[in-house]
Amino acid sequence: MAGRLKSAGLIAAFLVIFFPFLTVAEDLNFSLIPAEVHIDNLPPGEVAEFELTIHNKDDLAHNFTIATFPPPEDERREGSTEFPDGSWISFSSPTIEVGPNSQANVMVTVAIPQEQKWAGEDWETWLGVTAESSDLLGLKLHVRLLVSTSGIRFSAGFIVGIAAAIVLLGYAGYHYFKRRTKPE
Amino acid sequence: MRVVITSIVIAIILALAVSLPALAQESGTITITMTGLSEISISLDKTQWPLGTVAPNTEYETSPPIEWCTLTVQGNCNVNTFIVGEDAKWVSDPPAYKWTLSSDGTNGEHIYGLWFRISGDTARGYVPITKTQNEFWPYSGGSASSLAPEDTKQFGLRLLTPTYFFSGRQMQTQITISAVAA
Repeated sequence: MAGRLKSAGLIAAFLVIFFPFLTVAEDLNFSLIPAEVHIDNLPPGEVAEFELTIHNKDDLAHNFTIATFPPPEDERREGSTEFPDGSWISFSSPTIEVGPNSQANVMVTVAIPQEQKWAGEDWETWLGVTAESSDLLGLKLHVRLLVSTSGIRFSAGFIVGIAAAIVLLGYAGYHYFKRRTKPE
Repeated sequence: MRVVITSIVIAIILALAVSLPALAQESGTITITMTGLSEISISLDKTQWPLGTVAPNTEYETSPPIEWCTLTVQGNCNVNTFIVGEDAKWVSDPPAYKWTLSSDGTNGEHIYGLWFRISGDTARGYVPITKTQNEFWPYSGGSASSLAPEDTKQFGLRLLTPTYFFSGRQMQTQITISAVAA
């Protein structure tokens, strides 16, 4: 009898409450517009803005958080590379409460630093919107953001090319004028 | 001397005349395109799994095992979906105690495993849920395509508790299912 009590006590000691004990079944449903945004021809140093609409389709209000998310390489659109710095993207409200069956807009601002090295690039990042919840299952939707910067990069090759062109043209011009001014 | 200077000036003018139009072609109007104002949306018909008390080194499955929750694609665009888990935290004092989510579905002392299984997915069966975002549907190596509007996927979960843990503590975790336009 004492042995049985001892084992029962041991089993009880190992038990733990996992996940909410008393809960109410609930579904989760929201949407984002647009699902994909392309910003083309953005020069370094310039800013582009667009609106993101969060539609809460639940009967309860939810808090939504918005943040950039680096997409997996094999999920990026063809030809695009990883967005260099998430801090270049800002939101008018990184966290926003949306009432039941309502929608709210968030302004997204993309600002590329004015550095020549960011010219002529094609980047992709995702904007992840999460419905805050303490439930076991959570939902997150991503907006694809593709940014193409304008301008060409002043690479070392480009500068060397211009210098070489000046030297060659100068040399040709020198000989041309020298021959023309040569006394007969 | 005059010939040299004239030649260099003409050379610079010619080099710039060639390069400047090339530079000018690269600047233009910034355009922002929002592909047909597409709407992305998925819904889950269940978000909670009230397990109550659990024992160590024991497997628990949702009921029904693989048709417990239904994911439905809404909106008007096809989507690729992903799943990610996290460590389980002690509700009363999250920084003080946690169960680490294993990277392969196995368990250990204070280490637990989580799995999901999609109804009809006989190729993969139960798939571990890790702290790194992984494919939910479609998945690489499979022939399935992305989910279209109104498509549904039913799935279930499996929990493998740690071989040893501190008893009497209420633990909580979250599994996030995400979607992006395909």
